[in-house]
Amino acid sequence: MASWQELALPDHKGTPGWEFTELKNFDFASFQTATVGDLAAADQAELVFDLPADGVRLTQVDHAYHPVEEATSEGPLIMSLSQAVESHGDLVDKHLGSLIESSENVFTARNAAEWAGGAFVYVPRGVKVEAPIVLTAVQAQEGSALNWRVLVVLEEGAEAEVWEQYASTAPGLFTTVVELVVGENANLRFVTAQGLDEQSQIYGTQRAHVARDGKLDWVVLGFGAGYGKVFQNTILDGEGAEGKVTGAYALNGRQHLDFDTTQEHAAAHCNSDLAFRGILAGRSSAVWRGMIKVDEGAQETDAFQESRNLLISKKAHADAIPGLEILANDVRCTHAAAIAQIDPDQLFYLRARGLPLEQASRLVIEGFLAELVERFEEGPVRDALAGALERRLATVLG
Amino acid sequence: MATPEVIAEQEALKGLNADYTERYGFHDAENYLFKAPKGLTRELVAKISEFKNEPQWMLEFRLKAYDYFMAREMPTWGSPMLAEVDFDDIHYFVRASDRSERSWDDVPEDVKKTFDRLGIPEAERKFLAGVGAQYESESVYHQVNEALEAQGVIFMDMDTALREHEDLVKEHFATIIPPNDNKLAALNSAVWSGGSFVYVPPGVQVEMPLQAYFRINTENMGQFERTIIIADEGSYVHYVEGCTAPTYSSDSLHSAVVELIAKPGARIRYTTVQNWSNNVFNLVTKRAVAETDATVEWVDCNLGSKLTMKYPSVYLMGERAHGEILSIAFAGNGQHQDAGGKIVHVAPNTTSNIFAKSISKDGGRSSYRGLLEVGKGAHGSKSKVVCDALLLDETSRSDTYPTIRIGEDDVNVGHEATVSKVGDEQMFYLQSHGISEEEAGKLIVNGFIEPIVKELPMEYAVEMNRLIELQMEGSIG
Repeated sequence: MASWQELALPDHKGTPGWEFTELKNFDFASFQTATVGDLAAADQAELVFDLPADGVRLTQVDHAYHPVEEATSEGPLIMSLSQAVESHGDLVDKHLGSLIESSENVFTARNAAEWAGGAFVYVPRGVKVEAPIVLTAVQAQEGSALNWRVLVVLEEGAEAEVWEQYASTAPGLFTTVVELVVGENANLRFVTAQGLDEQSQIYGTQRAHVARDGKLDWVVLGFGAGYGKVFQNTILDGEGAEGKVTGAYALNGRQHLDFDTTQEHAAAHCNSDLAFRGILAGRSSAVWRGMIKVDEGAQETDAFQESRNLLISKKAHADAIPGLEILANDVRCTHAAAIAQIDPDQLFYLRARGLPLEQASRLVIEGFLAELVERFEEGPVRDALAGALERRLATVLG
Repeated sequence: MATPEVIAEQEALKGLNADYTERYGFHDAENYLFKAPKGLTRELVAKISEFKNEPQWMLEFRLKAYDYFMAREMPTWGSPMLAEVDFDDIHYFVRASDRSERSWDDVPEDVKKTFDRLGIPEAERKFLAGVGAQYESESVYHQVNEALEAQGVIFMDMDTALREHEDLVKEHFATIIPPNDNKLAALNSAVWSGGSFVYVPPGVQVEMPLQAYFRINTENMGQFERTIIIADEGSYVHYVEGCTAPTYSSDSLHSAVVELIAKPGARIRYTTVQNWSNNVFNLVTKRAVAETDATVEWVDCNLGSKLTMKYPSVYLMGERAHGEILSIAFAGNGQHQDAGGKIVHVAPNTTSNIFAKSISKDGGRSSYRGLLEVGKGAHGSKSKVVCDALLLDETSRSDTYPTIRIGEDDVNVGHEATVSKVGDEQMFYLQSHGISEEEAGKLIVNGFIEPIVKELPMEYAVEMNRLIELQMEGSIG
């Protein structure tokens, strides 16, 4: 197998998915692989969300990590992936790389070759993990390449909630490869929040495989990094599987983020629902490409995707590329994409009631994002999501 | 209603659009005065130009385009069927006036019956069957031409226009679609023949839709047509290309280039009903510019061909310009309709709409591929894109690939698409009212495309509904 140094960078001309994210003057090898860092640096990093008080936490700084092990004979396994390779090699072997091959692109190849630490969450059959598991990766070594790797496996009927967040105290390159294996009738909520330094770059591939009657509720937040592209794929591969993806990004300055989502319906009677909202300020730009794929025979599919962008500056730029590829006929697939400014009628209404312009704009933007927050029932997720969005908005709007 | 006659007719029409060569088996008589050998060479391009007595600049244009064509790779996107196009297995030039050697008597009864069923006027039937010589004598079209001439409208085939209005042609030729725009535009630029040239003087409203078969000359349905329509300030013209009736062609590749120029305040509507026989690769480049306050509308219906890749586009160059694309695609067995449209907002306060409807049945594949771009400076622009697809059976496929690029904050754009099957409830409702399953299917499909069909000229709308019925026969149940 070719090493990552031998693989070519994706050319934005002619490589599907890379058309709007050009890797110009990008010297991948110049980012030295992160070394073992100082775990204390985690305290200096600005985190994306308020951490719930209870639950297991796994924190990594650069390639330094605690080999936390919370294992009992029947309970869940929550530990660094490096530790798991040592202590539960068979289990890791069975799943690691099962969804994302290292040869997929140059970034997955480097991640596969160089990841250290990472996280492994394994929930055995029928076990429910009550408190959220929180994974935090902090980049502190300037100009380094941090390769973050996560493997979550839920066996039949298991339930868990995993939150991961990326933060930094210095700019660098961040690669992420996340594999989520959701077993039959299992139920996973996975929250991934990216709050890297605004000079950082991020390239990632995150993929979930959901078996029969399994449920995945995936939240994606993109706030940090100066440049990057992340693939987010959900494969519904058993009848009755459900995949819900909720994404938000809020960018400023010259940030450019590219989200590439697919909802693949590989079996009949599955349901997928994806909604992205973006706020673009300054000279920032965002790309959202979404594909609903309905394989042959995946009848009675119900799939939905929407992406809405609000441009709040003249220089901001948004690309939306929704897509449908449908090879079954008994389906209901809908997608919608919209890019607009703040509705002047709404502004006028608020100002007519005495609100100053700035406050009125803010209310409209909050209302726009509230539609996203309202996808969740009242509870810690909704509160954390609302809190994270509110803090990010305060930064973006100044 | 199922009299033996009707049954016989339905039998005859079954599989309309399925392999014409076998079913109808009529071919051009092989007695061309000039027919180039297969394959494209520099010498052949020069020969075409010489044959047509063209000015030096056109010869140079063709040769340059030939170089572009040779240098470019075949597009890798679109349809995998593209790989089947064999550029070496194509006659690039057959003298057009020698094409129409058929006589009406040679046209098979089946095709004549189809024309009957569609209610196509006799003169047009002959045209469609390639019986051009008789066609020229139709005096009604002489009168149309006289009326147009009186208004100062120029309407002739491109080869004649190049001879009679060289300056006007030279001023506009390839200004919208440069020869190196894409591989197939380069091919067309090198070997083009025929097509229409239309110039409408300022303020002139052409009341009657212009149709290619109004032209007296026979160079009508060339393989590499080149059409330019210029609507001068404040004028209006509606150009209609093709016909709902099946159009038999023995050529495997059709690659036209169509350029529209709508000057300030002008309006151009260009309606296409593409129904080539199922052996044809139809790879067409169509582009329009709309200047200040101008409107360009493409009404694009694709029913025939093996593969169609065609995305009519409008560049909104002047303030308050408006672009509109209405698209219908119907893909049956063995067909891929890769259609859609592009709108580029360049100037402020411009508006646009794209409405696309596609239907796939019997294993056919229809794709909507579109671009909506709002450039820097095009503030106050508004656009709406709506795509709907209907899948009639489980072996068919439908894709939607819209791209939206926005570089301005003061805009409002939206895209929506839905894909669905014919609803059981709709079927049940209609059937419970005594309508047969087959009839109900036709009704639902006709209802589905109705919003676009109603934009067609009346007689075309009637023909389109009949044609959809023909295509639907036997497809449900």
